[in-house]
Amino acid sequence: MTLIDALLQGILMGLLFALVALGLNIIWGVMDIVNFAHGEFLMIGMYTTYWTSLLLDIDPLLTLPVAALVGVLLGIASYYGLIRYLLRGPAIAQLFGTFGLMLFLRYLAQFLFGIDYRIIQKGILIGKSLSIGPFIFDWTKLAAGLLSLFAFAFVYYFLNKTKTGKALKATSINKEAASYMGIKTDKMNAIAWAIGGGTVGIAGGLLANFYYVYPTVGLLFVMIAFACVALGGFGSIKGVFFAGLLVGILEMVFPVFGSLVNSDFLGPHFKFTIVYLTYFIIVVFRPQGLFGWKN
Amino acid sequence: MKYRKTALFFIVLFLALLFVAPPLFAQEKEIRIGVLYPLSGAAATIGRDLQRAAELTADIINNKTPGVDIPMAQWGGIPNLGGAKIKLIFADHRGEPDRGADLAKRLILDDKVVGLMGAYHSSVTKTVSAVAERYGIPMINDSSTSPELTRRGLKWFWRTTPHDEFFNKDLFELLKGLTEGKVKGVKAIPKDQLKNVVYACENTEWGSSVAKSIESYAKEYGFNITKGILYNANSPDLTSEAKALVSAKPDVMLFASYLSDSLLMIRTLKGMRASTNFFWGQDAGFEMADFVKTLGTDTNGVLTRTVFIAKITKVKKVAGQVNALYKKKYGDDLTGATARSVVGVQAWAYALNQAGSTDPKAIQKACNEMNIPANDLVMPWAGVKFDATGQNILGRGLIGQYQKTKDGKIDLEIIYPFELATANMIYPFPGWK
Amino acid sequence: MEKLKDAFDFRDFSRAEQIGLIIFSIFLFLFPWLGAGSFVKAVMIQFLLFSLFGMGWNTIGGYGGQVELGKAQYVGIGAYTVALTMVWWNIPFWVSMPIGILLAVGYSFMIGYPLFRLKGHYFAIATICTSLVLQDIFANWKLVGAAKGIELPIHDHPDFLYMQFKSDTYYYYFIMVLFYVALFYMNWFRRSKLGYQLRMIKDDEDAAESLGIDIRWCKIKAYTIASAFVAVGGGFMAVYNLYIDPASVMDLDLSIKIALMAMLGGAGSLWGPIIGAAFLVPLDRFLGSWLGGHKGLVGLDFMIYAMLIMVVSAYQPRGIWGIIEQFRRKGS
Repeated sequence: MTLIDALLQGILMGLLFALVALGLNIIWGVMDIVNFAHGEFLMIGMYTTYWTSLLLDIDPLLTLPVAALVGVLLGIASYYGLIRYLLRGPAIAQLFGTFGLMLFLRYLAQFLFGIDYRIIQKGILIGKSLSIGPFIFDWTKLAAGLLSLFAFAFVYYFLNKTKTGKALKATSINKEAASYMGIKTDKMNAIAWAIGGGTVGIAGGLLANFYYVYPTVGLLFVMIAFACVALGGFGSIKGVFFAGLLVGILEMVFPVFGSLVNSDFLGPHFKFTIVYLTYFIIVVFRPQGLFGWKN
Repeated sequence: MKYRKTALFFIVLFLALLFVAPPLFAQEKEIRIGVLYPLSGAAATIGRDLQRAAELTADIINNKTPGVDIPMAQWGGIPNLGGAKIKLIFADHRGEPDRGADLAKRLILDDKVVGLMGAYHSSVTKTVSAVAERYGIPMINDSSTSPELTRRGLKWFWRTTPHDEFFNKDLFELLKGLTEGKVKGVKAIPKDQLKNVVYACENTEWGSSVAKSIESYAKEYGFNITKGILYNANSPDLTSEAKALVSAKPDVMLFASYLSDSLLMIRTLKGMRASTNFFWGQDAGFEMADFVKTLGTDTNGVLTRTVFIAKITKVKKVAGQVNALYKKKYGDDLTGATARSVVGVQAWAYALNQAGSTDPKAIQKACNEMNIPANDLVMPWAGVKFDATGQNILGRGLIGQYQKTKDGKIDLEIIYPFELATANMIYPFPGWK
Repeated sequence: MEKLKDAFDFRDFSRAEQIGLIIFSIFLFLFPWLGAGSFVKAVMIQFLLFSLFGMGWNTIGGYGGQVELGKAQYVGIGAYTVALTMVWWNIPFWVSMPIGILLAVGYSFMIGYPLFRLKGHYFAIATICTSLVLQDIFANWKLVGAAKGIELPIHDHPDFLYMQFKSDTYYYYFIMVLFYVALFYMNWFRRSKLGYQLRMIKDDEDAAESLGIDIRWCKIKAYTIASAFVAVGGGFMAVYNLYIDPASVMDLDLSIKIALMAMLGGAGSLWGPIIGAAFLVPLDRFLGSWLGGHKGLVGLDFMIYAMLIMVVSAYQPRGIWGIIEQFRRKGS
């Protein structure tokens, strides 16, 4: 029973982790850049939801479009303001540039909003839970999981069915071939950043429903997002989805087993260690990730 | 000729005055004390409050403050040092031990401070006190509660606050009191209603030492720990930790958390509709002003150990007066942490006055012999007196409970010690609807 | 013997660089006598320490071109070996330090072997993961003090065996000696066979492979050298701070700082890590300690720090040293 419960909770968290990682994955796939500022995009999405719901006095769930919009704008601004200039350099310089962006956004938030922890107190779902038989679900988490799924389906549809989406996919498979076909790489890159920013903005909005906001909150999630993306295989939407679920489930189920054996090394404080270790082991045996393809 | 001589005389006099005058004017001496707090980084909120409280206390000592009924408030500087003023020099260690050590060196060697105070984080206090020990500079620690700090045989380190073992003992005294009917407003409770204890402490220097001492006291007082976990404070999710606690069907839930994780933990438990009889947090996150501000009425019935509660002003006049000054200036009540910072500065003023000199050896002697009477403190303590290890043996903790008032606000009422109780205890823990 | 000579041979550098190095060395030697305050001295020690870390990172990250973001685990191994052997068995620093290096080398070999199956970003993230795993293990392992960390006993009188001194000047000269050993080693390394092989791998792995270079083995060797460097720095941190815990010697922040400094200064050049540390360490310490006292300005120092990083990386991917060289070429 505990196990099934943990599994269900894990799936909910996993969906959200996957949504956080999705944007990172698209950018990674299209441009082969690891965006270290991704966690800070998430943080800004959270702050957007926090402030709009507080200042306009509306339900945090209604602020999601605003969070998405801010995310899209942030993504585009980062691309044209910084990332485009980084493309000339080697991978190492690109990484380094996104580090700079990460620090900048983080401390900008600290400068503007202070270091206080903020948590949304009013909302239809906040503090309510749903009980089905022996299981109790936090409504905010349930909503976060389901809406993540929805957002994921939307992006999947966009990438596979629309013209722009297909162009984006073509670019991620082979940049040169795509540009010979008349797909403008520069534009595709900007679109990737816009989608990346938008999805993580939504994830931030959903997360703000039950998680506190403060300037360095991104770091907690970005490491998990990295593991998800690399685990799933870069550029693979399906991969990041299942990797997110796997991480969520591992994180919940491991402590259940751990509690059966009373050991220092199996307690819940090791739950993310296990996630990293799993990533390491899987990637060593399958260097391209679970769903990635070999170059 | 004559005029010339007179002129010369005056010029010489004037020059002589110039040389003599600085020491004359410098009657208004200042004594520098280095204070290390986390003013930026993760614990910056608390650091800011600690800094404010320390500054306020220095002001009270440096300027005659009417309306505060402690002798110190009328000193207007340190009497035995010719009315010298205390000047606090703040340094920001960000919660990083190595940065704390570097800053301590700066304070000692560059700013030439007479002594050190701080540093809130037990880990930083460790490195800072090691530096102080090397240079033979006294350090009074006002706010770190890891028991080990005073067990290292240091000769230049004193701690005014009680440490975690005192507090955990208080906790078990309260639990025992519940079973014996000593608690205000609650009839004696059969022990099997409180037998099953779980705890969750964050995995830091401080949290793990709290966990250790909870284990040993539980054994001593005959309570049964069914589940104890250490968790990672920087966790994006505490669901599985909360699940593990809830599945043990606890009667008593104990926590040691800083602010962020205490917020998340309570939100998560609420989402699971966790229920228990007794819900207690070990200071830190649980007693910060932001805790109530952020969680609102969800805190109703939560107990926290602390050393200062604004309600103490009902029983202790001085506390009310200082608290009023603080509230007027910064808008919040004093909390356990900030009131400790007040006592830290008070202890420094006493030590300096007793020593009558800024010589480290004299201050060392003064600290070892220090005996501040209860009436001079804002705290409900029996005073400040150090044992051979440098630990204040006259301090004691309080346990408070957040209670919802009729107008929907939250007040922190004193529950323990029993003779200071300001309200009936809410028992059992009402939980969240 | 030939090799040893190479280490001290700076003839292939330009005259300006040689003079710069001489002036810089004179400055370093005389620094404690220039009347700087102790805080400045502590900052100089940090600068030399991070230069040492950066030079280590440079072997694999700079010359080898592998984005390595897990150096903190080796800082931790070095620091913990020194601290634990001193606390448990009272072993002097000069014995425990080499043990720490050996452990770091052994561990890095063990980890490096599977790690170098990975390339590019996969490798970068895997290094972060291994470092996080080790940090978590140390934070929960009661035998090594868990999250409480380890405190070294303080000696009353100066003790050369245990490297315990009251004055920072001793530590300063000690880290300076380590710094020069590292500098000379790096000077030799960049012209060694391994150095050339690494650069070839960085430029084109396939071409390097076709020349018969064992790519994986080369990377592992460089990685191991880097780990040894960093472990020395970790051991120094233990005796210098007298207290270590997983959060201060094994944190991700530390790994990132090490890589960041080397990259800002210029990865793959001898001077890069030193220049990077010379920029970022003082910026971090001075600005931070100055702004800490000013309410409302918290965070501003990091914004300046971040702007500098973004501008340099966008303008010249080879870092500050790259910019200097660019100007010099324009000038001549």
